[in-house]
Amino acid sequence: MSEYAIEVENLSISYKGLKSYSIKRNFLLGKRNKPATFLALKDISFRLEKGEILGLVGKNGSGKSTLLKAIAGIFTPDSGTVNLHGNTVTLLAIGVGFQKELSGRENILLSGMLMGFSKKEILSKSDEIIEFSELGEFIDKPVSTYSSGMYSKLSFAITAILETDIILIDEVLSVGDARFKKKSYQKMKELIGQKNRTVIIASHDRKAVAELCDKVLWINDSQLMQIGETAEVLRAYDAFMD
Amino acid sequence: MLNRLFLDIKKYYQYSMASAKAKLKAEVANSYLNWLWWILDPLCFMLIYTIVFGYVFNSKESYFCIFIFIGISMWDFMNKTLVSSVKSVKLNKAVVSRAYFPKYILILIKVWINGFKMLISFGVVGVMMIIFRVPVSWNILYFIPILLTLGLFTFGCACFLLHYGVYVEDLSNVLNVVLRFVFYATGIFYNVSTRIPKFGELLNKINPMAFLISAMRQGLLYGQRPDLGILAAWFGFSLLLALAGIRKIYKAENSYVKAI
Repeated sequence: MSEYAIEVENLSISYKGLKSYSIKRNFLLGKRNKPATFLALKDISFRLEKGEILGLVGKNGSGKSTLLKAIAGIFTPDSGTVNLHGNTVTLLAIGVGFQKELSGRENILLSGMLMGFSKKEILSKSDEIIEFSELGEFIDKPVSTYSSGMYSKLSFAITAILETDIILIDEVLSVGDARFKKKSYQKMKELIGQKNRTVIIASHDRKAVAELCDKVLWINDSQLMQIGETAEVLRAYDAFMD
Repeated sequence: MLNRLFLDIKKYYQYSMASAKAKLKAEVANSYLNWLWWILDPLCFMLIYTIVFGYVFNSKESYFCIFIFIGISMWDFMNKTLVSSVKSVKLNKAVVSRAYFPKYILILIKVWINGFKMLISFGVVGVMMIIFRVPVSWNILYFIPILLTLGLFTFGCACFLLHYGVYVEDLSNVLNVVLRFVFYATGIFYNVSTRIPKFGELLNKINPMAFLISAMRQGLLYGQRPDLGILAAWFGFSLLLALAGIRKIYKAENSYVKAI
């Protein structure tokens, strides 16, 4: 029997207390706003073996990003568990990011440290990251001066070169210009092709999911609809969406 | 919880240091007189207060400008750390939504940054003490426990501010008013225990900032031993406050990401 890399059991997550509260308003109106509760994930369970690539599909707002964030440990579940068996994990997503006032180089170090790498490991790989990101001399300029393309290139390069055991990808299969897009897609294929790497890809790019993933998980309205063979689930999903 | 705290500090200590260092560097790189501002800033305020209170209000404290400089340095440390902690989760949204880390690390980073600036200020205090030939006794060594207490107290308050700052929109307005009040009740530019009739002595004990600053002045400038009983009491209180703050953050931090 092969080893599991990710085990998710009965995972539920709700957003609550989203409305912020103001002392002034409270004084003037004399009432508290009731926290609105919204169930983002409801009782999700699945297991992923080491080395498997899982596609995550579902319409906007169905809970895909929440699920990835929960697996990355940014949210803790309201009930249920997520067990990564000690594997390191990164989340690659748009807008997940950098400290704007710091240079690209400092951001590489700091992001790497948050991902659980030691300073030494990061420094030994930072040249490779800088080269892959194609930022040139901009790497020592503050990130606030970057264009959005440069920003995502750096973000992608860090994840791609530092290589955690588990990679979670949220809608960023293609970043940058056409050439970098091709290069990053190639790199991504190479990364997720490695035997020990476990990957979850949330994407609306049906073609990429069909090409890259071993399995697909379909979420609709916070609930797990189906998990299984890529072709089979995608067929059901397509039928549902039409 | 203590166990988890210990492991987390070990795990994220390096990150907090690296982050503080990077931010200090960025600050230096972006300004014209760069690191000189860390000295110029308190120096200028000292000049203002010395002129206003030394000449206009005719203060009689000996070594008046160092007296003020010590007050400003310690106050600035606390003030800047607290003010920035209120919005720190929102301002660090990019990092907070990237990976999990205990959110009090954000405060720790601020404590390192502002602590470093305060130490530079104290370097200036040292130079001024030499220039004004302040007689020195072993009592200057009390600056270590005093600064530790100040650091812990600030950290503890900042933890609670960070927590409530996530949900309460106008907390920073309230904080500014409170801090301004405490500023005047702390005696940055006068001696609380002699200047305020009746309540002065008491205020000097129950306002930790007033106590710590005047204890520092006693040790550095006047060769006196600070009241160790009260210092120990405030240290104990600050420790408990910091632990309670960390506990609060541990309990609630996962909902922060949802709120921002």
